[in-house]
Order: sequence, then structure tokens, then C-alpha cells
Amino acid sequence: MFLRNFWYVAATDSEVGRKPLARMILGEPIVFFRTEDGKPVAFEDRCAHRHLPLSMGKLVGDRLQCHYHGLQYDQTGQCVRIPGQDQIPPSAKVKTYPVVERYHWVWVWMGDPALADPAKITDFHWLDDQAWGAKASYLHVKANWQLVVDNLLDLTHLAFVHETTIGNAALAEHAVVKVTRAPNNVVVTRWIIDQPAPPTFVKVGGFTTNVDRWQIIDFVPPAFLRLDVGATPTGTGAPQGKRVGGITMRNLNAITPETEKTSHYFWGQAHDFDVTNAELTNRIFEQIQTAFYEDVAVFSAQQRSLDLIPDPPQVDINADTGVIQARRILARLHDEEQAALHVTAAE
Amino acid sequence: MPDSRLWLRVAALSQLPDDAALPVRLGDVPIALYRLNGHVHAIDDVCTHEFALLSQGFVEDGAIECPLHQARFDIATGRCLAPPATTDLRRYAVRIEGDDIYVCAAPQGA
Repeated sequence: MFLRNFWYVAATDSEVGRKPLARMILGEPIVFFRTEDGKPVAFEDRCAHRHLPLSMGKLVGDRLQCHYHGLQYDQTGQCVRIPGQDQIPPSAKVKTYPVVERYHWVWVWMGDPALADPAKITDFHWLDDQAWGAKASYLHVKANWQLVVDNLLDLTHLAFVHETTIGNAALAEHAVVKVTRAPNNVVVTRWIIDQPAPPTFVKVGGFTTNVDRWQIIDFVPPAFLRLDVGATPTGTGAPQGKRVGGITMRNLNAITPETEKTSHYFWGQAHDFDVTNAELTNRIFEQIQTAFYEDVAVFSAQQRSLDLIPDPPQVDINADTGVIQARRILARLHDEEQAALHVTAAE
Repeated sequence: MPDSRLWLRVAALSQLPDDAALPVRLGDVPIALYRLNGHVHAIDDVCTHEFALLSQGFVEDGAIECPLHQARFDIATGRCLAPPATTDLRRYAVRIEGDDIYVCAAPQGA
């Protein structure tokens, strides 16, 4: 199940350059490159002539030249040169996709191009804001994208999957959880009061006492999860809104379906303390990355189970509230997109 | 059989939020308190469908929606309004004395 009328993160800004980048998104092969003045462009990755992926070709000025017979396409996807032939057939063109570069990511619109409003791009300014130190990266996941969304909406898993980094037993046993919902938003707020800080927080925050820790998970469809996480020494007033003497971080996640069974996972970690300390930014990033590698192993193992028995019965537990609400939103949006497609088809 | 003459203090009125549930224990029984239009209501906190704590669900239009499978119950009466649950919740008489909320140990109609 894919949702089409959304902006998705397609690549990091440094991945897209003068060498064509092949990337499958929502099951569609796409080639990304930059024009000579730096503008990102996205084409269907298939020559209109004999179907060779255009990503195997090369850029000639601002034209993408097919590796097979040398057809050249301009920025609009129109073929403008066929070697040994003066006339260009009108059908010699490839589909293009709306592309926007923002927050050090290249975003692509996968739905009706008429609806591709850049104002709809989900806010990830923390990755590109001088008030924060941040580092971002990419993981390839051998699992359906919704498994990654589920993972980030139920953080009780930190106590078990990530006990050496960002988790400890207190997270699963002592959290006070509240879930709020809106038509296109789920927020899971978890407070862990007066408990030991997890290993990563001790390393980067220097905590010597118990802490009040928060995890506020903000889900926006289709697969954006922005986590406000942090801790302050117990009793200093964080639950009442006063964050002093501790650390605040943003864990930022944008999941893009590659196929029904594989995903692109773009993520970053931002911190609001000592923001120009690149060594610290890197140290925090590496702690979280260690945890994320542990998640990726879980996702692919889940997918293997689901491949054996698709759509098996499953038990829901209290911690699933956020997961279930998010999946309901995604199912509703999918139904709405499908209904709109049928209306269009009938017209 | 709980004694209908037994009233237990379960919470302070000032602890009870508007538009959200407060889970408490009535002896061994998990119940949830709700404040609706100035009235305090007490009903079972465990969904009659599967195990889910309704107090973690969503209060909308005088009903509580189960956080897991979307069964809905009328807060004032405990009546089941939507599947997959089919059985009503038990409700309990409530008495307010000052800031203390007392709940009758035996469910109404039991």
C-alpha cells in the first residue's frame, strides 16, 4: 500500500550530483541528477526507446544521454537529440517528477503533479538551523515502510532492542503515556519520571542523578516521525514545561517506500546544546546510529516472518495505541486516494 | 460479592482532568473516572472485547473509544455503542464529599 499525493525524501543533497543517481520510489524507477547550475531534476529511469535505465547514461551539459543509443533528454524529459536522425518523434519523452531541495534532502512528489505544492513539505528545519547541531544519514531497510513507522511510535522497544544505548528498563515499565490524535496527526507523549538516565544520555548529558525523561513522538503521514526527546535532573520542572540543566534532542525520521518490501530510511539527530561542537554532534549521531542498526535488523526479520505468512493474526497490547491510530490514518488516506482515482477514471 | 454498602475513596476531585480519564483501583478492580458536564462517572476500565485499558483511549462526545480496536462505550451508562465489543461496561455509583471521590464497591444493578 502506497500513498501517492505526498512529498517524499528521495535522497540526501550530496547524493544528487552530476553523476545520475538511480533510486526506486513507490515501486517506480527514478533517476536524479543536477543541472549545471545545481538544480535537481528527476526522470523516470527508462529510456523511451528501448528501456535501458537512463541512470546508466551520462550528462552532456544539462542533457541526460542514454548509454545505449545516445538519445539525449532535456530537463523537461523531452528527447532533443537522436543520433543519425533529424526528426524527433513527439512520443520520445520520459515522465518527470516535481523535485524540491530542502533541509539537506531532495524531495520528490509522487502523485498528481498539479497538486505538488512545496508548502506541503513536512518541516524538518532542525537539520538546517543554526540553533541546532545536527547530522543526518541514510539506511536501506529490507522491510515494508509501515514496520518502520510502527517502530518509532512504540518506544517501549528501546528497553529491549537498545539496552546498551538509548534504552533501559525504566522506559517500558515506568512511562506515563498519553496519545492524542487529529485527522492527520498522532502524538504520543511519554514521561519517565525520576528514573536512571540511559547510557547515551549519561555519556552526552553527564547526568549523575535520576532524571525526568520525555519522548514526544509527532507522526505526520505518510511516514514522518519527529521525536522531541530529552531529560533534565529529576524535580527541576520539565514536566511542567521548564527544561533546565538537561539535554534536548530531535530524532528526525523520513521513511520512503522503495517497494512493498523494502524502504529508504532517512534520519537525522539534532541537539540544542553545544551546537557548534562537531565532535559532540558526531558522538551523539553514532550512539543513535548504533541503535538504528539494531532496529534495521529487527525490521528485516519481521519482514521475513510476514513473507512466510502474510497478514497473520496479531495481538495488540496497550503500547500499540499510537501505532494503531497511525495505521488507521494511513488506511483512511489510502481509501481516499483510491476513491479519488476511481472518480477521475469514471469522468 | 462486593458489598453495596461499602464506599471506597478512590481519588481526589482535584486530580480528575476534564475530557480525559483517570484510572484508579476499586479494591482489585481497575476502573476509570470521567468528568462530564460537571458530573463524575465511574465505569470499568478494561474493555469487554479484549484486554485494553480504556482510560488510555479517546474521550469524544460523551463516549470512550478503546485505544486498540475502536469499541465505544457511553461514559454515563457504560453501554456498548460500537463493535468489536458487544457487552456493556459495569458502572459504579459515585459520591463526592468535599474533594474526595467515593465509589460504591458493588457495580450498579449487580
